[in-house]
Amino acid sequence: MASDLLSIGKSGAMAARTALDVTAQNITNASTDGYVRRSVQLAELSSSGGIGRIGDVSLSGVRVDQVVRNADMFRQSEVRRTGADAARADAEVTGLQNTEDALEQSGAYDAVVAFEASLQQLASDPTDTSLRASVVESARTMTRTMNIASQGLDQVGQGLQFEATDGVNQVNILSGELARVNLRLSRAADASSDQTTLLDQRDHLLEQLSQYVDVTTTFAPDQTVTVQLAGASGPTIVSGGTANTFAMTTATDGTISFTLSGNPVVPVAGSLTGKAQALGKLKEIRGGLDTIAKSVIDTINTAQANGVALDGTTGTAMFSGSSAADMSLVMNDGSMLATAPAGPAADSRDQTNLAAMQSALDTPDPAGATDSLIFNISSAVQGRSVTRDALDSIASAAKVTLSAQAGVSLDNEAANLVRYQQAFSASGRVMQVASDIFNSVLAIK
Amino acid sequence: MTLISTSTAAFYDRAKNDMATLQKRAESLQQQLSGGDKLERSSDDPVAASRLRVLSRSDTLSNIDTSNADRANADLSLADSALSTFADYVQQAQELANSAATGTLTDDQRASIGYQVQQIYGNLVSLANSRDSNGHSLFGGESAGDAYTLDGSGNATYVGTASAGDLPLGDGQSISRGLTGPDFLNFSVNGTPTNLLAVVKGLADDLQGGSSDPQTAARDGMTALSAGLNAVTTGQTLVGSRLNWIELTGTRRTNLGELRATEENTIGATDLPSTIADLQQTMTVLQASQASFAKLSSLSLFNVLS
Repeated sequence: MASDLLSIGKSGAMAARTALDVTAQNITNASTDGYVRRSVQLAELSSSGGIGRIGDVSLSGVRVDQVVRNADMFRQSEVRRTGADAARADAEVTGLQNTEDALEQSGAYDAVVAFEASLQQLASDPTDTSLRASVVESARTMTRTMNIASQGLDQVGQGLQFEATDGVNQVNILSGELARVNLRLSRAADASSDQTTLLDQRDHLLEQLSQYVDVTTTFAPDQTVTVQLAGASGPTIVSGGTANTFAMTTATDGTISFTLSGNPVVPVAGSLTGKAQALGKLKEIRGGLDTIAKSVIDTINTAQANGVALDGTTGTAMFSGSSAADMSLVMNDGSMLATAPAGPAADSRDQTNLAAMQSALDTPDPAGATDSLIFNISSAVQGRSVTRDALDSIASAAKVTLSAQAGVSLDNEAANLVRYQQAFSASGRVMQVASDIFNSVLAIK
Repeated sequence: MTLISTSTAAFYDRAKNDMATLQKRAESLQQQLSGGDKLERSSDDPVAASRLRVLSRSDTLSNIDTSNADRANADLSLADSALSTFADYVQQAQELANSAATGTLTDDQRASIGYQVQQIYGNLVSLANSRDSNGHSLFGGESAGDAYTLDGSGNATYVGTASAGDLPLGDGQSISRGLTGPDFLNFSVNGTPTNLLAVVKGLADDLQGGSSDPQTAARDGMTALSAGLNAVTTGQTLVGSRLNWIELTGTRRTNLGELRATEENTIGATDLPSTIADLQQTMTVLQASQASFAKLSSLSLFNVLS
């Protein structure tokens, strides 16, 4: 076949048009989340001569070979992996920080110290009614503070559980979406713009999913993806067009656990794991606070029963309840404080029982225990924050690296725009030349 | 050709991250400066925060100890002045007994001296029942009411408790909050235990006709009174040394309080010069990165191509 200048020019113009289209698409999607830069791959269109026509010139111009999607599988999987780690650390630190706030800002420590101090002050004159009233009031403050701290911890737990429930819903939505994308991918033509869009969707969904749980991906030749949870040997959540149901159960102690298709699964990264870890720590802190509250209740009530009140009657319990949540003051009258031991007459200034109460309180040491509890949670926050910051910078570095490679550079696109415009004009000129030649042939008379 | 470049989104992301980090750091430094506290929350430095909590607890308890010590101080000072008055009365009684022991006096004159001693006795009893700063019996130990009660014939009996009770002064130190009546009123004469009130009452009664030989009784009374004066002054020494002890522990408490304040300042307070310098540095870097960001982001090939 002989070459045809006009059709060569036409193929060049059309290829340049396509390239301009792709460039324009790149420019408009420069800040679209999950968009991967496309580029046009051109191929020469020519045929080798057949038998007996070896010397023939048979050039047919250019064709668009494929629209290349500039995605790097390794970098994408790095973004998912580091992103899941960072999301886990972030969710855990946030949960722990809220726990720390609930405990520290309730003022539990100060209230316990104030109660201790009011007992100490009462020692200066055990029969002074104003000092007795001050003990009762500081005890009231302490019980309320304990209640507030407990409620604060409850709210932190509820918040974490609520967010985790929402996360589980998101995981199910995303995995369902991913299964649909898989189905459509298996039907899409290779290297079509339909396929590249679906691939963008697939990768974007995987990245979103990795924020909640860790994902291990396996890509089939038809570009569909199989996703496993909890490491490479974990159960499959998405395979082809099916997505398995991910679910969460909340235990009575507030901790959460996950199941996939009814079987227990423990994700190793992602925000859901972080929330589960934070809830585990919250349970520990709540247990500690309850122990402190119970030790105060038991110690003071026992000491009260050993002594006599101002009117000489046997002391009655000061607190009721057995945990920080239900701790309350049942003694409203300062004169009921049993400062004197059993024996002396009413209005005795004998403070043996008060001293016994104070020294009994030294053993559980509620102020010291509260201090250690706050130290426990705050050092956990500090330690995890260091990890979180490290994972965060790794994740954002991975993201930036991917985006540098797969994202759109407007400067490059500007250059491409000029380049393909020139190519288009040049091809037009080729057609002009073909037309001129044709005219000059026609002009022969 | 491999194209080594960065994407537009990556450039903006990076700039955003860097500037946000700087901004956060500047804010945290500013908060430290305006609040005066190095620690915003315990997790900023858990060890220091825990130390600060322990220090503030010690401070609170130390303040209570100070007020307790002040009360003990007031009570002991009251006891001290009461003991001085006791000593004065005993000396008066001694003088009266001395004159009554003179052989030239008539029984009537002795009886009138006895009447004066009787008055002193009344004063001594009311002095023994004096009240402390809280309105409790000063010499009655831990009892609520009077230390001494009088029976029908005017004899004083101690009804207080055996000890005055201890008052904690902090750091495991404690002090007896006062003296009980028997601590300084009871003594022995020739091996026989007696007490000052009984001696004075006996002397008054004897001089007013209760004894067939008032002169000897007055002489015996003088011996007993000087032993009583001894007991009272011993009590006064005891009170003095306790006051001294309170002062010592007070000084110690003040010193410890100063040490705590220094430590709290070192651990918890913002180090102004270095924080201000840090803030300045951060602001400079932030300004530079903002300026360079503005320059770079305005650079676009689209502006050049026409």
